[in-house]
Amino acid sequence: MNPIAKALAEKDVLVCVGSGGVGKTTVAATLALRAAVEGKGSLVCTIDPAKRLANALGLEALGNAETAIPAAAFEGAGLKPKSTMRAMMLDMKRTWDELIERRAPPDKRDKILSNRFYQAMSSALAGSQEYIAMEKLWELRTQRDYPLIVLDTPPTAHALDFLDAPNRILDFLDNDAAKWLLTPALAAGKVGLKLFSFGSSYVAKTISRFTGTETLQELASFMLAISGLNEGFRERAHQTRALLAAKTTAFVLVTGPMPDRMDEAVYFHTLLRQNHLEVAALVVNRVHQPVPDAQWSAAARLPDPLRHKMEQTLEESEHLAAADARGIERLKELCPGTPLITVPRFERDVHDLKALWETSQFLFG
Amino acid sequence: MSALAHQRLLIVTGKGGVGKTTISAALALGSARRGLRTLVCEVNTKERITTLLGRPEVGAEIGSLDENLWSVDVRPQEALREYALMILKYESIYNAVFGNRLVGYFLRFIPSIQEIVMLGKILFHLREKRPDGQWRFDRIVIDAPATGHAITFLSVPQVVLDTVPPGPLATDATWMRDLLVDPKTTGSVLVSLPEELPVNETLELHAALSAKVKLTTAAVVLNGFIPERFTAADRAGLPPELAEVARVHELRAQLSTEAERRLRTLPAPLARVPRVYQPQFGRAAIETVAATLAPLLDRSAP
Repeated sequence: MNPIAKALAEKDVLVCVGSGGVGKTTVAATLALRAAVEGKGSLVCTIDPAKRLANALGLEALGNAETAIPAAAFEGAGLKPKSTMRAMMLDMKRTWDELIERRAPPDKRDKILSNRFYQAMSSALAGSQEYIAMEKLWELRTQRDYPLIVLDTPPTAHALDFLDAPNRILDFLDNDAAKWLLTPALAAGKVGLKLFSFGSSYVAKTISRFTGTETLQELASFMLAISGLNEGFRERAHQTRALLAAKTTAFVLVTGPMPDRMDEAVYFHTLLRQNHLEVAALVVNRVHQPVPDAQWSAAARLPDPLRHKMEQTLEESEHLAAADARGIERLKELCPGTPLITVPRFERDVHDLKALWETSQFLFG
Repeated sequence: MSALAHQRLLIVTGKGGVGKTTISAALALGSARRGLRTLVCEVNTKERITTLLGRPEVGAEIGSLDENLWSVDVRPQEALREYALMILKYESIYNAVFGNRLVGYFLRFIPSIQEIVMLGKILFHLREKRPDGQWRFDRIVIDAPATGHAITFLSVPQVVLDTVPPGPLATDATWMRDLLVDPKTTGSVLVSLPEELPVNETLELHAALSAKVKLTTAAVVLNGFIPERFTAADRAGLPPELAEVARVHELRAQLSTEAERRLRTLPAPLARVPRVYQPQFGRAAIETVAATLAPLLDRSAP
């Protein structure tokens, strides 16, 4: 059985991972589409603000709410889905704010939302987007009953960021050193003694040479406001890790045939394996195809200078195909035991559901 | 056009997979050839430029590659250490303070500390002088992260200024931001490909960098350009199995033309880099690309 078809049938969460610019979002949308057409209701949660994908799905734009793909979009592509497909785009800042609004005690809410450290954390802090994507996945899995959720992940500069995000945010929010520092303050309900005694210490003086003392105060007040939420964050981070490692979850690793993208895919693959996460398949997208012999012999019969132009064109195609083939062989060697699927390069972009559906023919063999 | 003849800092960015590293290597090589003492920086990534230029990896220490050409892979740990030592002066104090787990915690907490020390290291080298008063490096080329990460990376001085109250860190963030927004010193080079999505992203990136970072776009590089080859008459004389090949080629050429048309709406000169077909993408390919970028780098336009 085709590994992607198998994963689609058996799993209820598929996570598409890979570097930017390899068509990860398109693959994610294709998986959700195929599932819905075959009768497994699906949601695709994308990260990219790709307006074109929204349009391809027959929507004006994708937002933070799950939206059903209109019947007209399917009809236009000649498809009759047996179930519903929904799509959404993760809005990082809004998802963070909603999380705080839902979880924080009413008296702390505004204090947190207006704190400069919170604002930096929810919009600019490295790893924040990865974390909130995990939070959203957990929420969708536990609060809704989609038979299949396909999660498109942020294009990570570093593969580790994504897997490590829950831990990093937890560390950020719930750190032993911070607790020690703030314990008397937390007990007293205000920024207390220890910070001030810390403030006069040698170490604190040295830190404040970098940051200024007010930074420490502001940070302490953020810690204080958010401390009640830490248990919940910790709990969900554990459950998210468990969800990613569950038998019903699999990863689809998407890459392009360029050497740098392939290097990253190998690295990502190694990390997923090390973390005991199941990789359903490696998808190499947009692969150049070799030139058929018939084209070479037909070109040889052309008159000059047309023959020269054509042979030059075929030679260029052979170069690209050969380079891709070498890369794919290397990828196979370095990722043993993981099924590899290649999707040929199309001479057009994926503009509508029909094109999305045609892509799925290659994914599913 | 000599769009990149004068800026001391060139920031190369664009969508993932458009060839930023290739263009960075070529711009650095071209600058060094024109007698500028040039440093090319990769930012916390797997080092690729040294390999592309056929040299051994240099790591996090600045290493010499060629006459007038140096390279470094800027990494957060090492950059933080250098930055701290610059302020603290003594290694023993650094170890006492930065070995402390409380301090480690606070450093992770300060928003984007990694980005600020990495950017800080690069900009420090931009201000560095030799004993004779000349710049240590006449030019620095940054192979910056892809779009979203680039905006985060380059906004970091402003984020720090918005988040951190006045203090030494804020003082450093101020001069860093001032250097970045000065069009005489700094220009971005936006790299794109002749496809719809990368072009969209280039246009959006230009808007975001201008509005959010106040960075000036100095040049646009359309990489992988495919020129027209088959005339209508050519195509009429082809058998069906080859007509398709010609049609696909012309389709790609049309995409290139369309991409160029859209990118020319940006207020910066554009350079076309033809698609390179070479079995091994290495030094020879970089030399070819550097030659096509000459019009951007030459002091007097031909």
